[in-house]
Amino acid sequence: MSETTFMGVERAKIDWKPTIDYTSCDFCMECVNFCPHKVFEVRETEVIKLIIRNPNNCVVFCRACSKICGPDALSFPDKNATTQRIKEIRKEESNA
Amino acid sequence: MLENHAILPCNGLDKNAGVISREIAIKLCENANNKIICPVYYRVAEGKYNKIAGEHSLLVIDGCQTRCASKLAAEKNLKVSRRVTISEEAKSHNIELKSNLRLLENENTLIEIILNGLNSPEDKVALSSDETTVFNKFDYETYQHGKFLFRVPANPEIYFNENDCWAYVIGTRARIGVTDFVQQNLSDILYFTPPEIGTEIDQFGEAGEIESSKSVFELVSPVSGKVISINEALIGKPELLNENPYELGWVAEIELTNFEDDKELLIGFDKYFEIMKKKVEDINV
Repeated sequence: MSETTFMGVERAKIDWKPTIDYTSCDFCMECVNFCPHKVFEVRETEVIKLIIRNPNNCVVFCRACSKICGPDALSFPDKNATTQRIKEIRKEESNA
Repeated sequence: MLENHAILPCNGLDKNAGVISREIAIKLCENANNKIICPVYYRVAEGKYNKIAGEHSLLVIDGCQTRCASKLAAEKNLKVSRRVTISEEAKSHNIELKSNLRLLENENTLIEIILNGLNSPEDKVALSSDETTVFNKFDYETYQHGKFLFRVPANPEIYFNENDCWAYVIGTRARIGVTDFVQQNLSDILYFTPPEIGTEIDQFGEAGEIESSKSVFELVSPVSGKVISINEALIGKPELLNENPYELGWVAEIELTNFEDDKELLIGFDKYFEIMKKKVEDINV
């Protein structure tokens, strides 16, 4: 399902995933139903009913789940910083 | 002043943004020839509201990102000509919305701002200049998966990012858009939010939004630069993106600011074609 690399960089090295603000999240699960990449996991019997289960399945630079989140409880890292980090990793790896 | 519109507001009575939507809809109908479509009554009085929607341009007022009013419009096959989302407007004007269901100072300030925006003439969109017609030559390779056909332009001047967006670069300008992979995935595209003309966009920054009844897609700009024009045709006919996301459904033109650096994180046809084929197989579009 998930890509193993993004722009030639191992996906696991790129910090790009949603962060759930549990003070706002009302566990409506719209994001779970929306995301085809199985990034989220529902835990029906727990107090915290939603977690990020597969962060590396999240498509780098995609923020679509945050756009459909009614309570605005999902946030993502800064795109610019992520781009710079990808460039750095590529440089480090080409110099290695 | 906003005239001759059908107004479909979120009517969320248990949410602050819903109450604001309702108030804006009422005010828009007080002194102008606009008609409210009640989302609740619409469920049982379809004929009445279909007629109103058919005779007017449609303004949808969503309270929050759940976009219930937009979803209702999609469900009823209504063509949206304008849309406002209260939570986004609040954010962009640094107004904090709380959970009160009565309109207080913050809510009234926001209502005033939104009404002023809606009642001002719409910003004129810069048209593409004649010279940009050079972007119209696309040489396609195709990939068929089941009943779906994916065309990908193979021109050397066209670059891609792994977010399924393309940039056709000529000189210091680029035309950008989404690939067939995006439009096939989204299915019927119902709404297009263009990037603002004059905005400086970073590479991988947001260059508009495309919405279908199924999903929302943020166009991830392959290049950095200033938005100099947008495809005006998409505002009235977002379905052009389904028809042809290249010649007809391009999204914007960018005056490039740092293309030599941007190129480091872009790919050409060969690589994108392989990545796209793998995605199609994985997702089983």
